[in-house]
Amino acid sequence: MSEALLRCRDLVVGYREPLLPPIDLTIGRGEFWSVVGRNGSGKTTWFRTVLGLAAPISGTVELGPGVRCSYVPQRSAFDALYSVTARDVVGMGAERHGSFFRLRAPDTRDALAAVDAGALADRPFRSLSEGQKQRVLLARLVASGAGLAFLDEPTAAMDIVAEQEALTLLDGIRHRFGTAVVVVSHSLAVFRRHADHVLFVDRAAPVVMHGTPGELEAHPVFRARYGMHHA
Amino acid sequence: MPETAATWADFVAGWPIFRDAVVCGIVAGAALGFLGVWVVVRRMVFVAAVLSQAAGLGVALAFWVGMALDLPAEPLVGAVLLSLAATGLFTLRPERLHLSRESVLAAAWVLAGGLAVMIGERITAEAHDINAILFGSAVLVRPVDLALVAGVAAVVVGGALLARRGLLFAAFDPDVARVHGLPVSILDGALWLGVALLVSVATRALGALPVFAFSVLPALAALLLVPWRWVFPVAALLGGAAGGVGYLLAFFENFPVGASQTAVAGAFVLVAVPLGWLRRSA
Repeated sequence: MSEALLRCRDLVVGYREPLLPPIDLTIGRGEFWSVVGRNGSGKTTWFRTVLGLAAPISGTVELGPGVRCSYVPQRSAFDALYSVTARDVVGMGAERHGSFFRLRAPDTRDALAAVDAGALADRPFRSLSEGQKQRVLLARLVASGAGLAFLDEPTAAMDIVAEQEALTLLDGIRHRFGTAVVVVSHSLAVFRRHADHVLFVDRAAPVVMHGTPGELEAHPVFRARYGMHHA
Repeated sequence: MPETAATWADFVAGWPIFRDAVVCGIVAGAALGFLGVWVVVRRMVFVAAVLSQAAGLGVALAFWVGMALDLPAEPLVGAVLLSLAATGLFTLRPERLHLSRESVLAAAWVLAGGLAVMIGERITAEAHDINAILFGSAVLVRPVDLALVAGVAAVVVGGALLARRGLLFAAFDPDVARVHGLPVSILDGALWLGVALLVSVATRALGALPVFAFSVLPALAALLLVPWRWVFPVAALLGGAAGGVGYLLAFFENFPVGASQTAVAGAFVLVAVPLGWLRRSA
């Protein structure tokens, strides 16, 4: 097992009422986790609880010493009223508590170059294509220096080519910087081709299971939900 | 304002009298134009309307308390208290009552305006002051009001400049800002407290109508005209210009001051719409 970055211990998530059974898992450096489940299955609630955006009902989330998290929300979350450039968005990645009072804006060139997005630096973020926006958000992730990256539906609304490019970039970041990646996605391609760990949640069953992609595909609830049948 | 056609010689001769009002219009226009960028991009335009209307009601209430109860009530205190109370409306969660935030703000705006007019009817001796406060027809500004507007503007705009990158992150992507450890709620609270204070003192000095106009229109024009890094200085410039040029328009054409300042700020938006369209299609 690689160095542990995050531990969930008996973590029960939900709003007033538990949504899922308790979750125990450990995420290690450089791992690629895929979070799988149907709409309303509890994926986002788990995600938000781990990120500290929602309070757990019980249990704990422990970060390793000095570990920083970053987060890439769905691109639909951004308001087009802001005429900020790609460089401005990437610069946000470097902001931490109190750092934003510094007069000098953070240097974003290396982060943009790491995802081959240097040419987008001065373009308005709102005018970029979905794939270009994703590149810029990945550059922001690099600029954050986070050891643990959470991405919410990073390939939604992308065509297959753009999806593959985004996932390849994400894999590149993981290998180059040792970043652990946790991706919520409906795309089976994400966990089949890229993930080495999968968290499957199903509120209706209710079931929480984590393991390798192969173990998940053998799970009867998963097979029933995704229309797979035993050969 | 003179009844006959005014000349530059009249304006220059009267400058010692008009100076504080002109400077106050420029300072309040520039500061509210700057802060108005946050009001507009955060889709809180109605909040600015409610704040200025509540400040107007606070002033009217203070006059009424002073007259009816024979108590020493300072209108500025009324403006600040009511603006802060209106700011508290943002923190409520109206969806619990199956109401939208817009509907609650609209109700507050209508109620504050109606009450201010009703109270104005009960304080006939101060009726002119009430009109001046609600519609911005004040020709003169007291030195103490100018000093307050300038002081609060300096502190609030200075703070917003210092925290501009944090404010942008907290507004553009609040969840990620929280994950990065930024104090999003504190930044939001400080911003709206600053806006409420500036709106209060500016409403006492200039009136609710021009204060609402300064809080929205220069920022709208700037967002249409220039890229993000120039939006704040251009909005401040346009706001200051609306305050100064609006006063001159009122002086020379014998219009109410607040309405003239509002009209000039509105003209900037009308000009910015086609220019912005041309800029984007270039």
